[in-house]
Amino acid sequence: MGIIPAHMTRLSNIFCLVFALLLPVGALAQGVDAASKTITLGFSSEPPTLNSMESTDQVSSMILAHVKEGLLRYDQHGELAPGVAMRWEVTETSARFWLRRNARWSDGKPVTAHDFVFAWRNALLPATASQYAFILYPIKNAEAINRGELPATALGVTAVGDYELRVELERPCPYFASLTAFMTYYPVREDFFRSRGERYAADAKDMISNGPFMLDKWVHGAALSMAKNPYYWDAQDVKLNRIDIPHMTSDPQAMFNLYRNNSIAMTGLTRELLGKAVELGYPIRSFETGAVYFIEINFRPERATSNLKLRKALQAMIDSTVLVNRIIAIPGMHPTDTLFPRWLKGVEKPFLEEYPPPVIDHSLKRARELMREYLDETGQETPPPLVLLTGENPLAVQQAQYIQYLLREGLGIEVKIDRQIFKQILEKMRAGDFDLVTAGWGPDYNDAMTFADLFTSWNENNRGRYQSEEYDRLVRVAQGTNDQKVRMEAIAAIQQLIADDVVILPSYENSGVYVQDPRLKGVVRSIFGGDPNFRHAWIDDSHPAAAAGATTP
Amino acid sequence: MSTPAYPHDWFARIPAQAADDLPVLPPESYWQGVWRRLRSNRRALVAGCFLLLVLLFTVFGSVLWPVDPAKQDPGILSRSYVASRTLPVAFPDAWQVPMVEMGEPVAASELLAPQGLQVVSATTDAVRLVWQPVAGATNYRIYRMEGRGKGYGIPLAVVPAQYTGYQDRLDVHAQPYRYTVVADDGVDESAQVASLSVTPTAVISLLDAQLQGLVPEDAVSTDREWVVDLPSHPLGTDSLGRDMLARLIAGGQTSFFIGFGAPLIYIFIGCLYGAFSAYVGGRVDEWMMRFADFVIALPFLLFMILLRVAFGIGAGESGVAALIVAMVLLGWPMAARLVRGQVLQLREQPFVSAAKLMGAPSYYLVWRHMIPNVMGVVIVSLTFAIPGAIFTEAFLSFIGMGVVPPVPSWGSLCNDGIQSMLVHPHELLYPAALISATVLAFNVLGDGLRDALDINLEARS
Repeated sequence: MGIIPAHMTRLSNIFCLVFALLLPVGALAQGVDAASKTITLGFSSEPPTLNSMESTDQVSSMILAHVKEGLLRYDQHGELAPGVAMRWEVTETSARFWLRRNARWSDGKPVTAHDFVFAWRNALLPATASQYAFILYPIKNAEAINRGELPATALGVTAVGDYELRVELERPCPYFASLTAFMTYYPVREDFFRSRGERYAADAKDMISNGPFMLDKWVHGAALSMAKNPYYWDAQDVKLNRIDIPHMTSDPQAMFNLYRNNSIAMTGLTRELLGKAVELGYPIRSFETGAVYFIEINFRPERATSNLKLRKALQAMIDSTVLVNRIIAIPGMHPTDTLFPRWLKGVEKPFLEEYPPPVIDHSLKRARELMREYLDETGQETPPPLVLLTGENPLAVQQAQYIQYLLREGLGIEVKIDRQIFKQILEKMRAGDFDLVTAGWGPDYNDAMTFADLFTSWNENNRGRYQSEEYDRLVRVAQGTNDQKVRMEAIAAIQQLIADDVVILPSYENSGVYVQDPRLKGVVRSIFGGDPNFRHAWIDDSHPAAAAGATTP
Repeated sequence: MSTPAYPHDWFARIPAQAADDLPVLPPESYWQGVWRRLRSNRRALVAGCFLLLVLLFTVFGSVLWPVDPAKQDPGILSRSYVASRTLPVAFPDAWQVPMVEMGEPVAASELLAPQGLQVVSATTDAVRLVWQPVAGATNYRIYRMEGRGKGYGIPLAVVPAQYTGYQDRLDVHAQPYRYTVVADDGVDESAQVASLSVTPTAVISLLDAQLQGLVPEDAVSTDREWVVDLPSHPLGTDSLGRDMLARLIAGGQTSFFIGFGAPLIYIFIGCLYGAFSAYVGGRVDEWMMRFADFVIALPFLLFMILLRVAFGIGAGESGVAALIVAMVLLGWPMAARLVRGQVLQLREQPFVSAAKLMGAPSYYLVWRHMIPNVMGVVIVSLTFAIPGAIFTEAFLSFIGMGVVPPVPSWGSLCNDGIQSMLVHPHELLYPAALISATVLAFNVLGDGLRDALDINLEARS
């Protein structure tokens, strides 16, 4: 979800999500209660807002994914599945959705196409100032409305009766269906929204749900609780009766203690807690966050890194395998040489299986040869010092120190480590005040384009100011058609171009580790659509831990 | 001459006797007295000896232990002790993971344990495992347990079912591991597992050996068998595989440089300021002291941050210069006040008046009377200022405003060490113990010096 600070990825957000040392107030509170089909969780913080048109963060996204449902949703295998829409059809110029008639709001009223039209128009209003408005841009006139040039009614979306939605597209968008599972696309009922005014989504009673659960308690800063929504169209498939979140703390150790006390059902692990959990014999699980981390390079002409030979030398020198396996040493992290993660779909199979990433020869010999060529080419005696911008947290600094060592011993480059808080990093990236910066990118939707358009000349997140007509052209090709084959060929060419031009130095695909009560099954950890997801979760009574009287899991 | 006003038998001539019998104190200068009194204070003496040792350790340590404190070895991260060893070099080689066609997936409860789990090769560079495919598997999950703990251990990876092998490179050590492979249905995993135990052999990766200059950059594995000797690390290594002993020595140099440098300067400045202020006296003294009060009121940390900005210290540059300047700018008033008080007091002493009466010039007064009498106070405040400065540096490096990597200081070593305090306590323990012991020793020594320098204290007791 936008640029993320190194190691503060969704991983930390998962601590957020899943996780707390308050003594169990009601000593009977249990992480997993099979009798009442209730689970208890801890959050790192409360959701900043539950207004789906404005939310941007992980905690909100997790709750919204439970209390709301878009036209489409993700199932337990991470595949798109029918949500409010039963059927859909996406062409190069338009999309149509046929809504199910049994989808209802938690007050029993039906979910209609008008609710979607209202939500989308409202999210695009300049007055709403939604940070995620851009995700609606594939819809005709959306960008103009967002800039205030057209009235909201000009949006290319119409409700044909109550149960059909027609969308005109600005440009071909083969992944439009997957966008409709994103929270900004969730429906909002106009009469309810108007009746609450400013108070909309500010409290449990000011929310209305159409998802598998509904918010029934929200004590700000302290607790949240979700109960099963009896009006949900697929309610018989929802096995849990209640999800309680009585703990809010950002201290992973406190969360871990709660888990040990059997007060919460799952919790995320830091590297230290991982060792502790292994010692205690807990089954450890890992999940992919979907984010890719890399070192971004400054291409501004006054910077030494604008030289291709130097970048090539850096590319040959920095082998992320050692970084990931030795320095970071968190299981599940996958060292990579490309911007595109393994889970991205290609034409039929995963993209990286169809178009394997270019093989990069990481060797000291080659790196030093390239370095000598660079020095000869620019007529320098010694390589220039480089500034590596990085985050403040210990792991980020450790990584930076490894790269500092690698470049000094390997290529004789003095690297200055610039440690900054996340906000300051963004500011410095925007100002171009860096040579190298450790950055990450979390995907917004399930298509390679969420990564590929990152380094186009018009993308504001292209902080290194990489400019390539060929790159821009390839992105336009991929955006200009619905033909998956043509698109993936273009993406593959982009992948090659990124390696050839050394646009970035890819590091790893991120993942997190966590522990979960063994009686709790069917919890989906997914890259999209709110994580973790309990829609399909159930409690296994037959598990030995249940028989043993629910001692420590 | 008039008649004495006292009875004449008050005084009587002492009969001549041997001078040795007289109960006289041996002639002793002021400094000799100081030394005698200090020697009798055992605590101060021990502290002094300890400081001498620490000083020798930091100054000559890098000669006796010539290891680069910035050299990293990713093969030995966070060890508490590493013996010297001879390791073969592991050259990178591509390994093709065996692949099969995936079958129709089935639910986790119907999945069997993988058969034929075996090790292809096992070194600390990579452990390679293969197994027979399980019918209906969606993925395989691979776990690794250190030693013989309970449970599966850490989850290494989830590999799609078309792969029936896995290469583990995650921080592999030469110690026993138990690997567990289990099939899953995409959400939950089977209860049927296969596991096997293996102890990888220690090797060093080619890149690590090359970066340490042990193997030439154009080395080829076919040339010959490459074997390298690696040094021992008596105090272990830190989280990047750097030698702790070398870092403690280098850290001590930084800490002492700042610890001695800054106080020496600001106490000197403070002395001059205080002495001048007291000597001139009157309205000038009033103004000068109010200015000193004003400086004392300035908050150090804020000033330090401002100085960093003013110096243009940003992007990964050392803040040591700013640190010293800030300490000097804000540290002198204490010494100035102390010296001023002392001088004011001395100025009114009868021996000064007597010297003045006899026509002693100013420089003589300062040189003969003022300086020696103020010296005691100055030395004491110096011994208290040094640990203060060391501590300030440690604190600032701890919060990331002091030295920058890879330069260590005791404070930054503590900062690095605290991250892994629970798992690898030695990384925090050594520098923290050194800071604590050094600061304590300076304080004890300062205490002893204060007692030793105060001649009246002995007279009173």
